[in-house]
Amino acid sequence: MTDGTHAATLEAHWAGGVSPFGASWQKTMMWIFIVTDGLLFSGLLCGYGYLRMASLVPWPQQSEVFSIPFIALMTFILITSSASMGSAVGAARLGDLKTAGRFLLVTILFGASFLGCQAYEWTHLIRDGARLSGALPGSELAHLGVPVQFPMCFFLLTGFHGSHVLSGLVILIITAIRNSIGKTPPQGVELAGLYWHFVDLVWVFIFTLFYLL
Amino acid sequence: MSDAAKASPYRIYWVTWAILLVITVLMLAAEKFHMPRWFLVIFLLAFMMTKATMIGGNFMHLAHEHPRMSFMVAGGILVTSLILFGYIAPESWHVHDSARQLFGTPAAAEH
Repeated sequence: MTDGTHAATLEAHWAGGVSPFGASWQKTMMWIFIVTDGLLFSGLLCGYGYLRMASLVPWPQQSEVFSIPFIALMTFILITSSASMGSAVGAARLGDLKTAGRFLLVTILFGASFLGCQAYEWTHLIRDGARLSGALPGSELAHLGVPVQFPMCFFLLTGFHGSHVLSGLVILIITAIRNSIGKTPPQGVELAGLYWHFVDLVWVFIFTLFYLL
Repeated sequence: MSDAAKASPYRIYWVTWAILLVITVLMLAAEKFHMPRWFLVIFLLAFMMTKATMIGGNFMHLAHEHPRMSFMVAGGILVTSLILFGYIAPESWHVHDSARQLFGTPAAAEH
């Protein structure tokens, strides 16, 4: 097979040339990272499902343990941060760095508020007797009769998510600083945005599967 | 970029935000209506997937990416998760039944 025929065969088979996903390598790598990170959370959520279904002790009513309106507020904060992040990406694409910077700042503020809420929720639950290994004997949670797996699932799921929010915040702060001195290309804001939206996406699953179902 | 997107690049994000909020409120309100458990589960899962699709499609722009990219991301995560859950769900029921036969119903379950 000549080189020309080989290349034509490859192109017909692959049909994407050097860009099979129609995106830059940076964006493609970010998507691959998001897929692998998504699989991590998928494993955690499936593990939670296993523990919950295998538990002999019935799972508690979430409203008895958590303040659901407070969790709803956290959801509102994260969704709003996602919308402002999307707007920052839109502004960066138009070359409006000033507006992009403002929206990034709003996103950072909402993200920090979400982390604050999560810290409050953790403190509250730890005071109620929640530990990674179960509920402390004689504590409020123990009186509710929660299974051993319940606090563990809570800490693991929200802890992993919270660590992602924290790293997302660091990325956003770096992006905002670089944007303010004109060093972040529009794609840089877009990649930071992809990660931030992923954090929001994961919360949608945790919110429904852990707090509502 | 379409004319509409040029005119207001932020509109899609805030419209999506409003719809996501409405869906979230509906999910929270669903518990107040005493519907059968199986119906509540399907209702919440359907809305969860709707929210995920809107975030992926509109916020992450998967709706505008190359179809291969969308397939790799959504298909990869969904199919792997379903296979994983499909394997562990029967196992968890087996563990649950075996434990119940061995230990009976725990005191906490009787409350």
